[in-house]
Amino acid sequence: MNKTQKPVLVIGGGISGVTTAVEIAEVGKEVILIEKEPYLGGNVVKFNNYFPKLCPPTCGLEINFRRIKQNPRINYFTSTEVLEIAGEKGNFKAKLKTAPQYIKNNCTACGKCAKVCPEERPNDFNYGFTKTKAAYLPHEMAFPYKYVIDDEFCKKEACNKCAEVCEYDAINLSAKEEIKELEVSSVVVATGWKNYDASKIDNLNYSSSKNIITNVEFERFIASNGVGENKLLRLSDNTEPKKIAFVQCAGSRDENHLPYCSAVCCSASLKHALTIQELYPKSEIKIFYIDLRVSGRNEDFLAKVQTNKNIELVKGKVGKITETENNNLILEAEDILSGKKIKYEAELAVLATGIVPSNINIKLNKDSNQFMTDAQTEGIIPVACSRKPMDVSTSLKDATGAALKAIQ
Amino acid sequence: MQCGNCSVVCSLAPENKPFPRKEMIWAGWGMKDKLIGNPDVWLCHQCGDCSTYCPRGVKPADILSAVREVSYQHYAKPKFLGKILSSPKWLPAAILIPVIIISAILYLAGTLQIPEGPVNYSKFFPHAWLNSSFTILWFLTIGLGVLGLRNFWNDMKKQNPELKITGSFFKNLFSNFKEIMQHSNFSKCSNQKSRKIAHVLVFYGFILLLIVTAFAIYAAVTHQYPLGLFNPFKVLGNVAAVMLFIGLTVMIIKRVTDKENYGNSSYADWLFLISMFLLTISGVIVETARFLNWSIAYHLYFFHLICVWFIIIYLPYTKFGHLLYRAVAMTFDKSVNRDYSKKNED
Repeated sequence: MNKTQKPVLVIGGGISGVTTAVEIAEVGKEVILIEKEPYLGGNVVKFNNYFPKLCPPTCGLEINFRRIKQNPRINYFTSTEVLEIAGEKGNFKAKLKTAPQYIKNNCTACGKCAKVCPEERPNDFNYGFTKTKAAYLPHEMAFPYKYVIDDEFCKKEACNKCAEVCEYDAINLSAKEEIKELEVSSVVVATGWKNYDASKIDNLNYSSSKNIITNVEFERFIASNGVGENKLLRLSDNTEPKKIAFVQCAGSRDENHLPYCSAVCCSASLKHALTIQELYPKSEIKIFYIDLRVSGRNEDFLAKVQTNKNIELVKGKVGKITETENNNLILEAEDILSGKKIKYEAELAVLATGIVPSNINIKLNKDSNQFMTDAQTEGIIPVACSRKPMDVSTSLKDATGAALKAIQ
Repeated sequence: MQCGNCSVVCSLAPENKPFPRKEMIWAGWGMKDKLIGNPDVWLCHQCGDCSTYCPRGVKPADILSAVREVSYQHYAKPKFLGKILSSPKWLPAAILIPVIIISAILYLAGTLQIPEGPVNYSKFFPHAWLNSSFTILWFLTIGLGVLGLRNFWNDMKKQNPELKITGSFFKNLFSNFKEIMQHSNFSKCSNQKSRKIAHVLVFYGFILLLIVTAFAIYAAVTHQYPLGLFNPFKVLGNVAAVMLFIGLTVMIIKRVTDKENYGNSSYADWLFLISMFLLTISGVIVETARFLNWSIAYHLYFFHLICVWFIIIYLPYTKFGHLLYRAVAMTFDKSVNRDYSKKNED
């Protein structure tokens, strides 16, 4: 093969993008991996644990980060977005924009900047439920492991406290954004997913109660490095809820919201229920579902849940949630098997919201649900959740396939 | 039909065996007897929440409305009256029947011609003939309606053998009275507030007109008719006309402009709505024509009478019949203590 071949561009540094990049590099090709957040790992790094072995995200990501570090063929840029892709297979021109790098790569993450920083920002890693300083480490296992300054909240040179205190001269508060133009041979689109905006499901009242959270938020609620720090707390009164309800198909399989099945939410809620049971064996959990769609290995979760006396599976879609005076939640459903309406009072309700493809501002062929189709310009390869909803292990198989396509 | 969302978002569905999911399943399976002999289709006030929130674009509200329409024909006595009101192709016949009846009465009264002189409708249709034929028709219609209702009641009993009927029919009927008068079920429909207001206007407008008509008949018998413009009953009649006009206009406009929430209105629905609208408009015009001595007053009066007869004799077979069927279905529910079923189980 031609040794002067241009590198492959991988857009998106979540677990699929990282896997694609590593696999391309490990067969001897050059890769450029870009990520819009200041750290790699995407959605998975925010999870408490993930399928199928319920490992913490550190488990699968750490080894990949090491492979990235060791491999000189991978160039990665965080806080970077793609502005434009033009050209054809073997000869694409990509225009990238990197946000101002106020903290340089020689940061040792000593944390002195955050200590002196007077400004606060909502912590997007915890979906805004906690706060950090404007100079912050995105999370404990951030890769690259360095501090970041939030443009929106930092007062820059007017404050300058962090720059004064930094022993390594790693802070440059006058940094500007950078535009790069690169030539690449092919483009892998691993832009992944976000969860559906639960506030659009007006009958479930997500916006009006602190004790109604989404399934991705729940991951941060239950994670040991998350909102409650080793405790599952509900936000209205910071108590530990003992009656928890899961609302399946919150927006999915619903023509008014997402007409498709998001494929992972059933398994996710079963996983969540088992995690709660481990932490609080006496808690009472109800899962309201239309159908329990768990397949393959994940069926083991279902078997486990079915033998657990504290977890009840209720066939019936929740159509209404109302908050009581003591901030509990009344969930209403028709129990399909008995034909009776159920009103269940829970202390915390978790909406199993579905998967929506993330936006990307370059023109790609999409289906009616905004997922990317396989029919793209030759050399542009969508992968994993940018194509359709799938779990991590399926995404990784898809990533291997995308890597193979990208080096052809 | 496997999620039950419709039964939950419905503010009127009872706790036990809620609607409309079970009706949707029956409809899917073609179980006509169950659907027709089912009080629940009448408990629905067509707010459309079930259709709005259905995740699969099924329209339970439209299905229930269609079942109600089939019920009018199913229980129609005599059958042919139900049939001629079921489709636009029979509309000419449906109009012809009141025309023939009125012409026949006028012929018998010997006044089937346009009178001379200032407008005096009693010269065209003598009060005695008008009032007696109106009263007879009114009671005949109610009688035929009751025959249909009796079959409906028996079907509800047959389809729900496990339910025990307690209390007298009339006691249970009157226990619904307050609910109907206050339109409290309507208030529970969260989807469209304008519907309640429009229905209140039409409902009370119509009741007022019935009261005024009854007084007019009394006045005619005691030779005080026609009433002067400022007679309290005359004023009341005009107020009722305005109420009907506003209510009906809102109903028509909403049906045309807000298909999303109102579903597709059926022929029976439109037939009732338009005939009521024409009745109201023609009534006001006829009154004006009398005061202003218009030359076409008698023709207008004839048209107005057709509207009146059309609505009265077809009451049990058009949308108007919901007045009877819903009241009876609500009474059935009271009789079997359906409202309290949950409390008993708890």
